[in-house]
Amino acid sequence: MGVVILLIMAVGVAAMLTRKLPTAFALVAMAVAIAFVAGASVTGEESVLDTVIQEGAPALASTMIAVLLGSWLGKLLDETGVASTIVRKIVEFGGDRPTVVALGVLGVSALIGTVTGSAPAAMMAGIIGIPAMIAVGIPKVTAAGTILMGIAVGVPFELPIWQFFSTALDIPVPQVRSFMVKLFPFALLAGVAYVLIESRRRGVEHTWSLRPGSDRPVSRRKQLGDAPWYALLTPLVPLVLALGLEVAIIPSLLAGVLFGLVTTTRPREMNKRLLRTLYGGFQVAAPPIALFIAIGILLAAVQLPGAVTALEPLVKAISPQNPVAFVAVFTVLVPLCLYRGPLNVFGLGAGIAGVLIATQIYPAMAVLGLVASYNQVFGVSDPTSTQTVWSSQYAGVSPQQVMVRTLPYVWTVALGGFCVTAVTYL
Amino acid sequence: MTAVPADLPSGRELAAVDDLDLAVRLLAHTPTHEGRDPDLLRRWARAADSFGATLPATECRAKVEERDDGLDQGLLARYRSRPTPTVELYTDTLAAAERLVQRYRWQHWYPPGSLRVAVLAHEAVHERLHHGPERDAFRRALGHEVLRLGRLRRLGHVAGADEVAAHSHARRVAGLGRSPLLLTAALADAVNHREK
Repeated sequence: MGVVILLIMAVGVAAMLTRKLPTAFALVAMAVAIAFVAGASVTGEESVLDTVIQEGAPALASTMIAVLLGSWLGKLLDETGVASTIVRKIVEFGGDRPTVVALGVLGVSALIGTVTGSAPAAMMAGIIGIPAMIAVGIPKVTAAGTILMGIAVGVPFELPIWQFFSTALDIPVPQVRSFMVKLFPFALLAGVAYVLIESRRRGVEHTWSLRPGSDRPVSRRKQLGDAPWYALLTPLVPLVLALGLEVAIIPSLLAGVLFGLVTTTRPREMNKRLLRTLYGGFQVAAPPIALFIAIGILLAAVQLPGAVTALEPLVKAISPQNPVAFVAVFTVLVPLCLYRGPLNVFGLGAGIAGVLIATQIYPAMAVLGLVASYNQVFGVSDPTSTQTVWSSQYAGVSPQQVMVRTLPYVWTVALGGFCVTAVTYL
Repeated sequence: MTAVPADLPSGRELAAVDDLDLAVRLLAHTPTHEGRDPDLLRRWARAADSFGATLPATECRAKVEERDDGLDQGLLARYRSRPTPTVELYTDTLAAAERLVQRYRWQHWYPPGSLRVAVLAHEAVHERLHHGPERDAFRRALGHEVLRLGRLRRLGHVAGADEVAAHSHARRVAGLGRSPLLLTAALADAVNHREK
């Protein structure tokens, strides 16, 4: 039976890789098929309709709210010109030293990465950051990679991600936070190393181009001008609250929204702006929320007793127990989280994590170490992930070029994450 | 682009735009200048233009590589500092520019063969502003103050101003009657026309 479930997973991955089915639909189809193969009834206890779909769909509800609030805050940062003001200041202060500009944009991207993820984060940092870097002579691939590496620096502190791992793996948020704090130095070192090494290797480029420097659409910010300096602290507010004062995730994000609002908006315009950015946030959050619904359904399916019993011997046989083998095997498997592969955390990878926890092959914290480390790779180098596609295309290069350039750095981050996991939790 | 399209609009309209206005347009299209005061942009454009025009002419020390895929990339030239300083010269775009000059009867502004000289002079300015001592002088010439704490004064970078300076320098060194910005704009129009 376990083999059949693995076959279903393989078919699902094939459907995602070949783009026959969108990831969310493929995950739900897999979940239903796995549930039937695991012997679940149609309705009732441990059933396809009541357990897998009805209970699975809202299982990650708190993550969805966190994603929505992150997207809301992101929209606010964009509309009020907070993100672009920071980038502009960086260019003005360090523009004749391109490496300084790239390091600054890396920092901005990291800050934004703590608030929201995926393409919206890349857009917020990249819409001005990428052409600004190119304008000071940073080559296009380096510029696109800098945005992605920067977001990845912020990801260990991205509050919606903490919520996702906490709910999906059933680990309290403080424990998730404790691992993420350990992962952060690797992400930071890799990000800084990327900028310094790639700037050194590729130098600067100046083009005599036939196209104007920017023919991008003009946002509302153009009419609004720069945000005041104290508003630039907005991205730090949720971070300080959640990390420093251990306030819960949703109130921390809400506090960020309120701070961003009162520091940038006249009282009579507040209601209008709050609603506009909230509705905009819904639009931005729709794709990840659809994915989290599907992941919740898949997690419910692989955690059915029948599925656990069927998968346990198989997964046990192929899962390395020795810490050195654990690090070596999972490091070699890193490419499997690219191209929507089976270790993609926002795809089948979440299901596999669910299996590892349900079968108790590894402690939950070790599974967290695995998925969080893979997430650092996926978020930067996967040529099918929306932030990578957007950043590359906006810079005028291909996602594959960015993947090739960034993969060595994020692979090293994953290796670091696996080492910490093996030493601490195995 | 095998030839300049026969139904292109006259270059008279483009030529009526002043070189300084073209420089202001370039700055206005450069990221970080969205919403900037047009008078400030004009002041920077004028300062960068003067700086480029007064830079002493030096030989371009970078290696020159000729390529023929410039029109596809929308490029006339590119300067790369690594692995060795190199100027990539896109000969197909240069040839298209020469044809455009003939079509518009702009030879008195852009004499035959002068474009290549202009391109090398332009890229030499990038090399000098990147490696040379002119970088600080250029910042002082632009005078963009971003921070003042008592006597401490920090001058900021003006994105795109180096392009204006490079064009101005190229115009002087190659003995052009008008800025290369005019020809670039005309060429961009021709390429856009072809793409439509």
